[in-house]
Amino acid sequence: MKFLCVPCDSPMKLQSLGPPERGSLAVVYACPECGYEMAMLTNAYETQVVQSLGVRIGPDRAGADGAPAGQGSASADAAAAGGKCPFAAMIPGAQDGGLHLPTPVRWTAAAEARLANIPEFVRPMARTGIEKFAQERGAFEVDETLLDAARDFFGM
Amino acid sequence: MKSYHDIVGDGGSRVLEQVAAQRASITDGLAGVRHLVAVGSGKGGVGKSTLTLHLAGALRARGLRVAILDADFNGPTQARMAGVQGALLVPGRTKVALPRTRNGIAVFSMGSLVPESHALEFESTAHGESHTWRATREFALLSEILRACDWGSLDVLLFDLPPGAERTVQYADFLGPRTAFLLVTIPSDVARGVVARSVAALSAGPNRLLGYVENMSGYYCRGCDTVKPLFTSTAAVDLGLPCLGTVPFDPELARHCDEGTPLETLHDTPAGQALAQIAQRLIDDLDARQELDR
Repeated sequence: MKFLCVPCDSPMKLQSLGPPERGSLAVVYACPECGYEMAMLTNAYETQVVQSLGVRIGPDRAGADGAPAGQGSASADAAAAGGKCPFAAMIPGAQDGGLHLPTPVRWTAAAEARLANIPEFVRPMARTGIEKFAQERGAFEVDETLLDAARDFFGM
Repeated sequence: MKSYHDIVGDGGSRVLEQVAAQRASITDGLAGVRHLVAVGSGKGGVGKSTLTLHLAGALRARGLRVAILDADFNGPTQARMAGVQGALLVPGRTKVALPRTRNGIAVFSMGSLVPESHALEFESTAHGESHTWRATREFALLSEILRACDWGSLDVLLFDLPPGAERTVQYADFLGPRTAFLLVTIPSDVARGVVARSVAALSAGPNRLLGYVENMSGYYCRGCDTVKPLFTSTAAVDLGLPCLGTVPFDPELARHCDEGTPLETLHDTPAGQALAQIAQRLIDDLDARQELDR
């Protein structure tokens, strides 16, 4: 979808994206010539169609302000639907919406970074399983070595 | 006044750019896979998943590196049948490391994530209108899985497709022309009729049709060690494809699937011998075509 400022015959540019409200997004466009602003307000179905593509509306904020891609106001991610993990209610260990319960197992920053690389819908299950794997081996810290050991044990 | 096509770019929404980046990422992630093969039918209940798993086993027995992506998100069965229902998806260096069966087949199945007592559901803003967006959401999930998993170097990646002739064609569109199709039918005119519709639909696209396998082609009685008739098909519906083989129904094979245990003695049975021949024919065909394409 593109927007044209008819008086200026100039393509409008995305300015900002309001926080999702009851399934609706407010996307503000402005004309670079005359400065005229307009807002596109989506209904729930339109929001869902964009969300179903697995994309985010607006600039990738990673690198711009240090925030991960999709966070902040310019995001049409799963937060628009009121949740992060699409299967949160179905995956054991994810019933809290992706937040894990406190355990005696710590994660190193490098291990956390590797966990962040995998899709959100896998993360809660992976975190819970890795911590169980660690505890079964008497480990209190999940680091990259332990992740590699788990990978060798379970997978590739 | 300018038209849509006069305007370069999308004004900053980046939707098309992101979709293109997703596709490029999938292509990169599958660069180490020699052959992509989708196992479909159009008809449900013909044994696509069982055949996929055992074909993977037969290919693996030839020393090939094989993975299965269970693309039937709403009725995933590979996790149970392959014995990886409780397996963990572990974060690797950059991607998800897949669980493997005891004989070394990597398997991704939603059945490893979603318990069988639950239906696959997506959170949505459009309550009660899932027919307007659900297919798009499922293909976005397939895209995410393809991008997220570490497929590594493989000889064959098998896609276990869901039923439905229209779904089969949608997967062909999504997976692209690199993916060849193997269709599964049973010796029933009704089933062959549905598969014929899939053949007709797929034939309009660029994907190569490798042929079909006739599953449940007779019943293997272990008591008398013979294959007896199971259906009374007239084979009146010509699929117009080469038949890569026929596989008899073997209750022992079905039991192993239910229990998720490996088939140690499959090669001694008529079903095992048929699968071994199909696997050999399949890989010979794929390799020969790859050689021609070079």
